[in-house]
Amino acid sequence: MFTVKLAGYTIRVDNRYDFVEKMCKQYISETDTVDFTVSVSTEDMENEKLLSPEEFSEGYLESLAIYRHIGEEIGRLGGFIFHSAVIEYKGKAYAFAAKSGTGKSTHIRLWRKAFGDGVGIVNGDKPIFRFVGDELYAYGTPWCGKEGFHRNVGVPLGAVCFIERGESNSIEQLPKKEFTEYVFNQVYMPENGESCLSILDMLDKMSETVKIYKLKCNMDIQAAYVARDGMVSEE
Amino acid sequence: MKIKEGFILRDVAGQTIVVAVGKMSKNFNRIIKLNSTGKFIWEKLSSDIERDELVASLVAEYDIDEATASSDADKFIEALKGADILEC
Repeated sequence: MFTVKLAGYTIRVDNRYDFVEKMCKQYISETDTVDFTVSVSTEDMENEKLLSPEEFSEGYLESLAIYRHIGEEIGRLGGFIFHSAVIEYKGKAYAFAAKSGTGKSTHIRLWRKAFGDGVGIVNGDKPIFRFVGDELYAYGTPWCGKEGFHRNVGVPLGAVCFIERGESNSIEQLPKKEFTEYVFNQVYMPENGESCLSILDMLDKMSETVKIYKLKCNMDIQAAYVARDGMVSEE
Repeated sequence: MKIKEGFILRDVAGQTIVVAVGKMSKNFNRIIKLNSTGKFIWEKLSSDIERDELVASLVAEYDIDEATASSDADKFIEALKGADILEC
């Protein structure tokens, strides 16, 4: 049993395997009052096994089940998991989303190459998004994909960018009528009805307040410049 | 007839969305998008209503003839039955 602080939520984790506790070491909290507790049943483990594309260790499967429970609970507390790779640039977070294999990780490496230390990682795969007042923030968590990219930070979201492979590089704003089609695929939608309703309301607010783009790009460093120039306004 | 428990409806970014929750989320294509007529019918079917009553409400709401309303209602009802989310 240990306690973590993720995206401002204090969560007690009732674990059986060491894996998840080691994974969370940068997020450990000593607080006694918690927002909620998660524990994993044998049925949850079986469920994760069924959903996994390959054979994983019990410890890893437990960590997946724990994050699924966290995704279920944070909805009603005003947060959700948004499948994307998030970087920080000039004080804002930029979330890149794509079908797996399209090259989110490749693209954020291009940003790193182009803008060096001006680019910080937030989370490589499964950040938590949460409204702080009227502003949506992206938070690092240790559930972050195989590269292990994550930092324990919360950064106000500058934009979300959907990546598609293209011959050349171009960026445009996503028309609002395409919002649900694109965004819903990236959100962990809880089975818990109360959390689900709260998330739908947050997504509606997100559609009003967050800029969303579609980037067609190749793997050339130019892609990072096109994305940056399209999304980051000069002050 | 009425729609089974376990669905929530919300407008998100100007689009009406239905999401299956609880037990329904297990064996279901989770998210349905509805146009404005679909939303109207869905909301009617959220509480117990007879087919003829539903058709009459469509005629009144959209100022269409009964044949069109009947056909729209039947198509929607069949789709819901096909997805096994209507209890009769």
